[in-house]
Amino acid sequence: MPGPRALLGLGLLVAAAAARAGGRCPSLGRGRGWGWGWGWGRGRACCRPRRAMHGPSAGPQGLRFLGQEEAQAIDQELFTEYKFSVDQLMELAGLSCATAIAKAYPPGSFTTSRPTVLVVCGPGNNGGDGLVCARHLKMFGYEPTVYYPKRPSKPLFEGLTTQCQKMDIPFLPEFPAEAALIDELYGLVVDAIFGFSFTGAVREPFGSILSTLERITVPIASIDIPSGWDVEKGKADGLQPDMLISLTAPKKAAMHFAGRYHFLGGRFVPPALQKKYALNLPPYPETDCVLQLSKA
Amino acid sequence: MLPRGGVRGGAGAAGAASPGRHRRAPGVRAAAAAPEGSAARPAARDELRAPPRPGAPPLPQPREPPAPCPQASPAPHPGDGLRSPGVGSRGGGDVLIPAAVCSPRSKAEAAAIEKELLEDYRFGRQQLIEIWGHACAMAVTKAFPLPSLPRKQPTVLVVCGPAQNGAIGLVCARHLRIFDYEPTIFYPKRSPDPLYRDFTTQCEKMDIPFLSYLPTEVQLINDAYNAVVDAVLGAEAEAGEGREPCAAILATLKLLRIPIVSLDVPSGWDAEAGGSGGISPDVLVSLAAPKECARRFLGRQHFVAGRFLPYDVQKKFELNPPEYPGTECVVAL
Repeated sequence: MPGPRALLGLGLLVAAAAARAGGRCPSLGRGRGWGWGWGWGRGRACCRPRRAMHGPSAGPQGLRFLGQEEAQAIDQELFTEYKFSVDQLMELAGLSCATAIAKAYPPGSFTTSRPTVLVVCGPGNNGGDGLVCARHLKMFGYEPTVYYPKRPSKPLFEGLTTQCQKMDIPFLPEFPAEAALIDELYGLVVDAIFGFSFTGAVREPFGSILSTLERITVPIASIDIPSGWDVEKGKADGLQPDMLISLTAPKKAAMHFAGRYHFLGGRFVPPALQKKYALNLPPYPETDCVLQLSKA
Repeated sequence: MLPRGGVRGGAGAAGAASPGRHRRAPGVRAAAAAPEGSAARPAARDELRAPPRPGAPPLPQPREPPAPCPQASPAPHPGDGLRSPGVGSRGGGDVLIPAAVCSPRSKAEAAAIEKELLEDYRFGRQQLIEIWGHACAMAVTKAFPLPSLPRKQPTVLVVCGPAQNGAIGLVCARHLRIFDYEPTIFYPKRSPDPLYRDFTTQCEKMDIPFLSYLPTEVQLINDAYNAVVDAVLGAEAEAGEGREPCAAILATLKLLRIPIVSLDVPSGWDAEAGGSGGISPDVLVSLAAPKECARRFLGRQHFVAGRFLPYDVQKKFELNPPEYPGTECVVAL
């Protein structure tokens, strides 16, 4: 069952996460003494061998999975109270996504002869995250191609699009008609269509796009929420991504995620905000901007 | 549904580069070479592949070294006698920039690069400052890893000037806080620009203390902090010490015994000629590309934070950047 699978190994995090008052530990100067192999210099956030099973609705001291309203409230607070700008956080979010992809699918592991990636960007902020991700993937040595059918006419998105185009990242004029064509051309697809604000019915062209994506066999990496899923309940017959990069904190939909790689990204949440919402985020390794929550 | 092997699952990834060296992570940057397993695909399939895009960039190749620039012998720094031991050898006359890689830029060129990023590439100013500040924080963690800090608390003083360099310092401080350092900020002359005000608020709300004054008694600073990040003046500043309060700050920084990390240009140095009698940073983090004055940098480590630069900008300005290992955004030269 995917829920506990995402939480396996986090049982040990429970005690320490709760002990970190406000995210600040006075004795951190000498490396982390959490005792699970996350010491400074090791660099890998491997979950320890599982000792305890926890149910999908983690207790008050475990990593929390957010509901849609909560996720929106936290987002709002980051902008209104903490005065972050959208482009700042989007840059960090997109970087997290690209970094997670680089960890799980290094360019040398592609069985296509070139590390080609299709990035499908939706009409909102999730799409913006995808544009930033595409740019960083390019810098990491991948060959991203973007499909961006519905572009908001706001300077932020126009700027991100220009940055990609001027970095020689092609934008497809139309979506590949067949799943088989995607499988042929690309080794990985990044799903940056819908995020945590998604509600209601899926409008075209995204309905057809999602139908096609549901039939491809190359791995899909979804940004924040597998597109088309209900942000809390998931979607049993929907997209089945191989990777999920939860931003800020995982949403409830992530409990239904059955893919191999679940990463946490968006390493910008101030300790006070973490405390206010009792996010109980596990510590990121060293200076990494991503944390692997599940072992393949 | 099991994923077909569009990729082979692998969690192997680049290891962090240790300061002073960079190793290429296996597999990354393999775009130019066919990775294992691809030979199995019949050649006829190539037609179905996306055609190579015109101008698809190969990896930047090292170019012929530019015409040698006159290198003035560096003036002895008055702070030498106070330098704490163990900083590392500084051979007189050593230049830490190999000529074939990362040739330094003049002030005009640096400004032109930034202008191109903002106007042609439509990077946002806040976006760039976030990218640079994050990269600077990464460089600080490489130069001064947490376990290596001499003091019990991982304290760092970040001194921010009134303009863009100071804003980058604020973002750097914030990321240091996220990386579990304990930064303290001294930001005496705050920019009225609303863009920079937000950076200040973000730091305040991350519980980063702001000093109300900088002690003139240098020993207090030496005792309280492991290192100082100098984000006072950048490449845009005029030569010389500048107006108050920068002049007083720089006078204090010159006397410090703890290491200084300078962002882009050691404050008080002329961006091209360098500074005689100015501060002597241990670490320099060049933004985008080193400035001319970096030739006169004699400290322990010189990082470049230029990964984000589009290939065409690198080519146009003949930046000749180094290779960045794995997903790193800074590299030590």
